[in-house]
Amino acid sequence: MLRRIASAFADLGSRFHGGEEAPGTEEEPSDPVTDGGTPAAASGSKRPLRHRDWVRALPFWLPPFLLVLLFVYGAISWNFVISLTGWEGLGEPSYSQLDFDMYVQFFEQVYDGAVERLNGGDTQIAEYNAFVNTFKLLIVFTVVSLGVGLGLAVLIDRGIRLENTFRTIYLLPMALSFVVTAILWRWMYRFDGGVINELLTAVGLGAFTQNWLGDPQFKLYAVIFALTWQFSGYCMIVYLAGLRAIPDDHYEAARVDGASTLRMYWRVILPQLRASTTSAAVVLMVFGLKAFDFIFVIFGGATPGPSADIMPILMYREAFGRTNWAYGSAVATILFLMALGIIAPYLYTQYKRGDL
Amino acid sequence: MLAGCLTGDDGGDDVEGVPDEPAEDEELELVHWWTAGGEEAALNDLLESFRNEYGYSGGDINNNPAPGGAGSAIDTAIQSRVSSGDPPSTFQIWPGGSLDPYTSEDLLNPINDVWTDEMDSAYLDGVKETARHDGDFVAVPLNIHRLNNLFYNVNVVEDAGIDVDGLSDGEDLLTAMETADSEGYIGMAHQTSSTWSTLQMWEMVFMAQNGVDAYRDVLDKNVSDHESALEESLQLVVDYSDYISPNSASVTWDEANQAVIDGDAAFLHQGDWAVGEYQTASGFDYGEDWDMVPFPGTGGVYAIVMDSFVMPTNNPSPTMTKQWLRQCGSIDGQETFNRTKGSIPPRTDVPTDDYPEFLQDQASDFSDSDEQVPSIAHGSGIDPDGKSQFEEIFSGFIESWNASETASRIVDEL
Repeated sequence: MLRRIASAFADLGSRFHGGEEAPGTEEEPSDPVTDGGTPAAASGSKRPLRHRDWVRALPFWLPPFLLVLLFVYGAISWNFVISLTGWEGLGEPSYSQLDFDMYVQFFEQVYDGAVERLNGGDTQIAEYNAFVNTFKLLIVFTVVSLGVGLGLAVLIDRGIRLENTFRTIYLLPMALSFVVTAILWRWMYRFDGGVINELLTAVGLGAFTQNWLGDPQFKLYAVIFALTWQFSGYCMIVYLAGLRAIPDDHYEAARVDGASTLRMYWRVILPQLRASTTSAAVVLMVFGLKAFDFIFVIFGGATPGPSADIMPILMYREAFGRTNWAYGSAVATILFLMALGIIAPYLYTQYKRGDL
Repeated sequence: MLAGCLTGDDGGDDVEGVPDEPAEDEELELVHWWTAGGEEAALNDLLESFRNEYGYSGGDINNNPAPGGAGSAIDTAIQSRVSSGDPPSTFQIWPGGSLDPYTSEDLLNPINDVWTDEMDSAYLDGVKETARHDGDFVAVPLNIHRLNNLFYNVNVVEDAGIDVDGLSDGEDLLTAMETADSEGYIGMAHQTSSTWSTLQMWEMVFMAQNGVDAYRDVLDKNVSDHESALEESLQLVVDYSDYISPNSASVTWDEANQAVIDGDAAFLHQGDWAVGEYQTASGFDYGEDWDMVPFPGTGGVYAIVMDSFVMPTNNPSPTMTKQWLRQCGSIDGQETFNRTKGSIPPRTDVPTDDYPEFLQDQASDFSDSDEQVPSIAHGSGIDPDGKSQFEEIFSGFIESWNASETASRIVDEL
């Protein structure tokens, strides 16, 4: 898609400078002799500015373009500027001294936490806990969701009966809001009488029942498990589309060569799903960064405790709990850069490969 | 339209006194978080009394709720509007510490002319203190919930052989919870899925064990003198945690309270908003099935949780705002509002004869109380920064249940 936009812009540029795509100019665009005069002069004389395509299209693309510029990129830039100030409280920010103090402060806290952690035991430093938990959540959530999604996709692709029904069932959780699923999971995770512990007891695994939301060892993983439930259906759909795009010949060829089912998937099918994996992983990671709602609801507020604290929650606490606007903005910017760090390499490889 | 923001005198925004006639060309924009059943009805009753008193129609009032439990959404909405100079006429806020970010930037008008002598003399000192900043009144407290309650299921307590009236401090309560536990009941219904319930419980324990003066010291962030007292009171809460609801980490306070109603749990420490659930439970009557004593060791104290309204500077409707605040501070307004809300009026001269029996008892306890102290967990006792620090520390406490580490963190960070 990016390439399409880029080529559209290039096109736009060439029209602006190079004028119309008259048959003559298309074949020999840089030859002024055949056309008589420079291209710019030629097009200018041929058609007045207000009749050109890009000018006539202005009312359609300019308003959304400006709105996005203001509300997305403008807001991101302003947030960044605020993070360079020392703004706190309900007064006006002062822009006289802009520096990276807030970022330094954040990473110092993370470092202090890491040192405390290395010296044995836990740390209560919120920045460290939030930073590490954010990574844990991103990685575990993404890997497990992809794994489960792939498994489901392969099973459904085996030509089972009621395929559409299963697809719907697996995809349905994604249609629910985090607020709904958080309340649902809070019920299921109950220590006494919750579905999870009851099920474990029923199948004879009573020894594995846990205080899922109370024990700091399990809190974050309980959240990750619930998120995985919600998003593995999405991975399944992405993989299923990938699987359907692989021609039947590949399966048949592998069979003829005597490959076992496992070997066929491992050596022939999986390598062809790389594009599906990257695109699903990017979406999952971005969702993982936004797990704010789920944690805010399941732990009834912005203090889920050190073991389940993540950066979006820390950002909210700093900004709206303590009116440390500059510090909250710095956390937000770091989060934004992390998201960008995930998406940028993906976009770049897609662009290189010409998939955009 | 308006002359300016700070006039410096009592008549903020150029309106002297509180006129009795309706203002022309003004609209009162009212931002609050009362959107749940009983709360919404209570606010509507108050609005009706306001319209009748000053002769306004419904079209003069822009009722603009910002729903979200206990003001979590209102903060984000109000803070940005007030700091950008576009405040509503008035908004709901906890009086006391929560006002600090606003008063430190002079964003609230002094409203000394709303507080007539007649109103002033009807409020108790501990409440008035939360409505003042630098000697000026800036808020009007509208309702009071009591926080230092210990509710109990009468049958459970009798069955376990616990003498509730004999509990004189936090240690006694621990013994009582042990007794209930050995009789097969949950000692105390309690939630730990979010932080505030444990924070408020510790506040009560600390006050019970160390007295009101030490507690006020903590509210003023003078914590370093009290480290060992902090640790001891936290340790007592850790000891309590052996006898709280097994489900505490995955229930809300009202879900936990169900165990008291069902006769599975002996005690509940909670603000008196918990009574709403008892009143709707069938066959569960005050005095016979459930009852309440002040949290052991806090007998003469009324720990207050309040809501108030304020007048931001740059006010879009100075006359109507003052009239509204006057109505919030009037006998008529407070009687109407609190009857439906299930709280008691801050004014001690409001007739409460037709209130439910429990609220009448609370109101008489209130007028007889020696001290009225605000709390950390409910925003009046400390500024938002301190509240947020306490919440963060306590979110760690309910994971680690480590009293000494938590005490030293409180001393280090406050």
